Amino acid sequence: METAALKQQLKKQIVEFLNLLSIKPEDIKDDEPLFGAGLGLDSIDSLELIVLLGREYGIEIKDPKEGRKILVDINTMVAYIEQHRTK
Amino acid sequence: MISAIGNTVAENRTALQEGKCGITSLSLLSSKYAGIMPFGEIKITTEELKKKLNATEPGVTRTSLLALHAFNEAINDSKLSSEEIISFDTALIGASTVGGMCLTDELYNDANKKDGGSEYLSSYDCASVNIYLQERYKMNGPVNTINTACSSSANAIMYGSRLIKSGRAKRAIVGGVDSLAKFTINGFNALHILSSDICTPFDEQRKGLNLGEGAAFLILEKEEDTIGKKIYAVVSGYCNSNDSFHPSSLSDEGDGPYLAMKGALDMANLRKDEISFINAHGTATENNDAVESTAMLRLFGKVPAFASTKSNIGHTLAAAGAIEAVYSILNLTHQEVYPSLHYNRPITKTGLVPVQTYQKMPLQHVMSNSFGFAGNCSSLIFSTI
Amino acid sequence: MLYIHQSTCISPQQTFLDVNIDVLHEPVENKLKVIEPTYEDIPPGILRRMAKAVRIGVGAALPIIKNFSHIDGFIIGTSNAGMEDCIKFLNQIIQYEEGVLTPSNFVQSTPNALAGQLGLLTKNKGYNITHVHRGLAFENAIVDAMMMLHDHPENNYLLSAVDETSAYNYNIDRLSGWYKKEVVTCEQFYQTNSTGSISGESAIAFLVSGEKVNATARLAAIHTLHTEEEMLIEKQLQYFLEKNLPAGEKIDLLISGENGDNRLLKYYTTVENILDDNITIARFKHMAGEYATASAFAVWLSCQILQTQYIPLHMLKKSIPQSNTKNILVYNNYKGSQHSFILITKEN
Repeated sequence: METAALKQQLKKQIVEFLNLLSIKPEDIKDDEPLFGAGLGLDSIDSLELIVLLGREYGIEIKDPKEGRKILVDINTMVAYIEQHRTK
Repeated sequence: MISAIGNTVAENRTALQEGKCGITSLSLLSSKYAGIMPFGEIKITTEELKKKLNATEPGVTRTSLLALHAFNEAINDSKLSSEEIISFDTALIGASTVGGMCLTDELYNDANKKDGGSEYLSSYDCASVNIYLQERYKMNGPVNTINTACSSSANAIMYGSRLIKSGRAKRAIVGGVDSLAKFTINGFNALHILSSDICTPFDEQRKGLNLGEGAAFLILEKEEDTIGKKIYAVVSGYCNSNDSFHPSSLSDEGDGPYLAMKGALDMANLRKDEISFINAHGTATENNDAVESTAMLRLFGKVPAFASTKSNIGHTLAAAGAIEAVYSILNLTHQEVYPSLHYNRPITKTGLVPVQTYQKMPLQHVMSNSFGFAGNCSSLIFSTI
Repeated sequence: MLYIHQSTCISPQQTFLDVNIDVLHEPVENKLKVIEPTYEDIPPGILRRMAKAVRIGVGAALPIIKNFSHIDGFIIGTSNAGMEDCIKFLNQIIQYEEGVLTPSNFVQSTPNALAGQLGLLTKNKGYNITHVHRGLAFENAIVDAMMMLHDHPENNYLLSAVDETSAYNYNIDRLSGWYKKEVVTCEQFYQTNSTGSISGESAIAFLVSGEKVNATARLAAIHTLHTEEEMLIEKQLQYFLEKNLPAGEKIDLLISGENGDNRLLKYYTTVENILDDNITIARFKHMAGEYATASAFAVWLSCQILQTQYIPLHMLKKSIPQSNTKNILVYNNYKGSQHSFILITKEN
């Protein structure tokens, strides 16, 4: 899958998985921080995103702290998916 | 009481004195995590409990059985008569977070309407445990079930005390129970706060908690009604406060724990230096132990001797408050403290060191902390008579 | 003394903000579901994660919290709040065979999630508790509030009750025979000679304090019992009335939790027979359905009736013309074993 398409797909999955009611996938900028000031996700969301990566892309992340280094923004997530996906 | 280190109060005391650890691999509960993570499992099967307790009627869950076991010991120890048990002024205040949800498959089938309905249809909620005890003993007084996660039975003790103080009850049987369940195991695991090793409360390298199961009940009465009776301790202070920071973790400053401990001190009318010992909540999660340490330092400055008995039996969730109340009362009755196990070195940020060896110690007031999800924080103070 | 100063109600009827209880919304396939507001005041980032019980519980509390900043604590009664998320998490456990699971269902499945959320939203660090004793969950919350106010009459507490009908707890109660097999309308509801009732849900919040001035109502007394014997109910009610009704006064209105289940009618008949012939009897479960904290709906209705001195026709089982409704007795039972009497009186 092309990177651009993957980014679109991931944004859609994040919005659905985290039930982000007021946000449309296309509104999420590629380099917008997921946590803190940008999208405003929190620690429970980071655990949920780890599950998402596992279920949709077959990526296993055992340590949530390591997970936070990957879950910076859409760009970092997509880069990691492209490198490590098994699905 | 009953826990992973003993089936009676006396057995628990001996085990605590010996620094015995009841946290092992699961051998009774069938779960993917058996052999992967350690738990404070009570090594008696549910079938054995049913037989021992003469509780073979349909719909009785492991949670209710553990509660019945502890309830029986409390009643026998206090020598409450059957008239007193059924009296309209005897309250039963209990706590559970698991209730009948230890029966994963039955609940799944019933909730998804897979079959005609199991024998447990009215046994799943937390109230089912206390209703079971109430009906078995034909109790007529006020009965209540509290669920504030890990602080549930601490709140049950508080609530029972207040019922007596307000004249709504003459005596209160208070306590809590939880049994191991796939539901809680997987829930805590999804939050990444279970440790794959035996827990190390207040240690810098701590990796998370071990779940446990157990139950404990205490009988509370007013001083004037205890003439001629055996008294263990006084409930001299308590406080319930909320951390109001996050659904499943405590704030760095620990406002909730701080306010709960301070409120208990204020109610007991004690100075900070009068607390002889603290039975800490000490779950060994990164969050709890750091925050509890910070809150203790904030309040006490010079923190009293403290330890976590979760290093012996794991985190028994709703039962923790009551079990640890009994342990605190053992501290007072026998003027001794039990070691916090598996500890190596202090949390760098706070530098606090728990008690590590069994020792006799002059104790007058012992504090017991319980902090839970949804920011529910409670602290109790027990004092010598 | 417990005085009710404000009350809100999210229920299957038009009871929230623009209250109109003359209008009757019918059950659909024996289920009465709440009419949910739009939740403009809940930040989307928080709303997205809320299980229904938490959502409607917060929704009911917000109008009170918004206008009254100094709340000293939250006292909640619920029996099945969180059950929906509990089963969703359980379904995950089965589906993924205890594999990697999402934690938010688990976090939202705890009954104290609502009390915690209210504390979070208001940054309130005061007393915070959740009572879960099934059909007496709300009653225990009332007693708790009474005790708190006795010790701190200057304080204000949010006393609340929430229960939701999730698909799952509906299935469990249906398998136990607590719901009617035949589909009923509001009109037929009390006339069917069959077992079971219809399911319901609500989220109700009261601002309570020890302050009499400007209070809507006084929750004067409460008594609970666990029994299946009519005789005991009779004796306890007689004692309750003797002890709590001021001399020379009578009960003007009985709000009865009669629920269409013919097995439970005997309890309501027992209570009606003890009371004076000269009282109005009203019923409410055709409006809200049957669920563990239904008595909170009756208490909310009591506040409405005391304020407006008006009872909708569809509630009336028996009507006695009278100039002033002052003393209301709420009698309810849940599944025939958990009973409560609540005395609510007019203040001001």
